[in-house]
Amino acid sequence: MPPKLVVQGLSHHYPDEYTGEDVHALDNVSLDVDEGVFAAVVGPSGCGKTTLLNILAGLLPYSVGHVKVDGIDVTGPGPDRGVVFQEHAILPWRTVARNIGHGLEIQGMASEERKKKVQEFVELVNLTGFEDRYPHELSGGMKQRVALARTLCADPVIMLMDEPFAAVDAQTRITLQEELNRITMATKKTTLLITHNVDEAAFLGDKCFVFTRRPGKLKATILIDIPRDRRVWKDLLHDPQFIEKRDEILTLVREEVSPHGDD
Amino acid sequence: MNPVQSLSIAVQKLFGRQRLRRIILGSIPFIMLLSLWRMNTVNEWLPPVFIPPMASIIEAISILQDECTGIGGILTMNPGCLFTNHVLSSLGRVGLALILGLPFGIAFGVLAGMNRRVSNVLEPIGVFANAISGIAWVPLAIVWFGIGAMTTLFILLNTIFWLVFFNTLLGVRSVPSVLENSVLTLGGSRWNIITQVYFPGALPSIVTGIRMSMGFGWRALIAAEMIGGDSGLGFMIFVSASEYKIEEVFLGVIVIALIWMFTDRSILVPIEKWTVQRWGMVWRPS
Ligand SMILES: Nc1ncnc2c1ncn2[C@@H]1O[C@H](COP(=O)(O)OP(=O)(O)OP(=O)(O)O)[C@@H](O)[C@H]1O
Ligand SMILES: [Mg+2]
Repeated sequence: MPPKLVVQGLSHHYPDEYTGEDVHALDNVSLDVDEGVFAAVVGPSGCGKTTLLNILAGLLPYSVGHVKVDGIDVTGPGPDRGVVFQEHAILPWRTVARNIGHGLEIQGMASEERKKKVQEFVELVNLTGFEDRYPHELSGGMKQRVALARTLCADPVIMLMDEPFAAVDAQTRITLQEELNRITMATKKTTLLITHNVDEAAFLGDKCFVFTRRPGKLKATILIDIPRDRRVWKDLLHDPQFIEKRDEILTLVREEVSPHGDD
Repeated sequence: MNPVQSLSIAVQKLFGRQRLRRIILGSIPFIMLLSLWRMNTVNEWLPPVFIPPMASIIEAISILQDECTGIGGILTMNPGCLFTNHVLSSLGRVGLALILGLPFGIAFGVLAGMNRRVSNVLEPIGVFANAISGIAWVPLAIVWFGIGAMTTLFILLNTIFWLVFFNTLLGVRSVPSVLENSVLTLGGSRWNIITQVYFPGALPSIVTGIRMSMGFGWRALIAAEMIGGDSGLGFMIFVSASEYKIEEVFLGVIVIALIWMFTDRSILVPIEKWTVQRWGMVWRPS
């Protein structure tokens, strides 16, 4: 079966209006993600991860290289690529249920059918009882669950996530990572997660793309062959296979972070 | 429990403790003003030609409404209903100006908020027009439209449109772009973005704009009616003053303020409460 996501020879420059010097963000990136695979992109800060995600999402136009989802060239944003953003991107003026059903509403699904589907995803992300709440009444972690459910409910070909748990506390992050693992396993959703957290990448990813520092190039692809149903922090922390893979990624990323701490 | 206590508890239950306290605190200045007024009449500090007794103001209503025949006469603006005709005339003009001005102000505001080119065209002229909005236009409007409805409507529209336009524009610009992006990646169209992101996102500003424009618009209308009107509360005050009917002037002034207070408290504030506050988009004093 052909891969769901194919990126070929993708490069990106940001023009700088003030200095006239372009920022070279991505350099000749090629990667692919097969159906049902959870892929993680790790790399040092400023290496172009967000740039990559925005291009994949169709929010940033690109000129060098190719990006194909399900064999079709990406030319703009579309419902085939759902995105979970880092900041709280759910609409404050919609209740939890109406946020989650937003994609289906746009697709024009009848309200009865939509309600049933929404309820399914409310349960999937453990938000039963909060359907009629507004986002300002939720905690940061709950908001990200709503964002996750909203994206999954619209049933995209691939789900793109940009550091979705960067803004929540460490405890909540661990819970959310385990839940994301469970949910993507249950929905078999092809996913590309962007993170600078090596543990997160190794915990969630079937496939980890390690990027160099700017301009971001693909440095290595690490396959992590741990069954998804075994991925629970309590067990993995002592799992030799996990530790080995994580350390491998950690070493690769460390090499890219300059000793001065900047990029 | 004595009857006074049980009455006080019943009243507190009816209004709610917080609200009751607010109502009582808010009415203190009014009660002081009314007492002063009453004392003036009793002690005859200032003669009735300057400050008429309260009773004469009620009387003024019945004199003005002398030839008016019931609710039907009021609603059909029977020429005998002198007082209510002026009230309805002012209200009708504000209403008409709002119906015409709000949709255009909001629509152009959203358009300019999302499109640099549109805002580049409209912003400078808006700043220019806003600076002379309100009563500064009255003399010119009289030259153009003569005395009457067109002049007052022009003044009102000028005030309402630009204020709503600017507030909407700023509101749209304050909507985080990640919200727009998130709806785009759900497959949302331009129209979806406008109605589901820009409009609700700008609503706090739009409501502020409507409140401001109604406040300024109401004042501008009264002023316009005094100089360039042929009916309305402003016109009534002006004519009454020139005929030394001081109680009619008082009546007009009080009614103008009461109408504004009622509109703001019972229409605009609830709108804000049921949208913007519910969504957690404004800071709520505790
Ligand atoms: N809109 C922009 N205009 C100009 N330069 C930009 C723009 N966005 C990002 N850059 C630059 O491109 C480079 C890559 O940025 P990007 O946001 O993709 O990095 P990142 O890997 O997501 O970093 P982080 O992990 O800190 O989020 C950075 O050097 C950044 O300064
Ligand atoms: Mg980033």
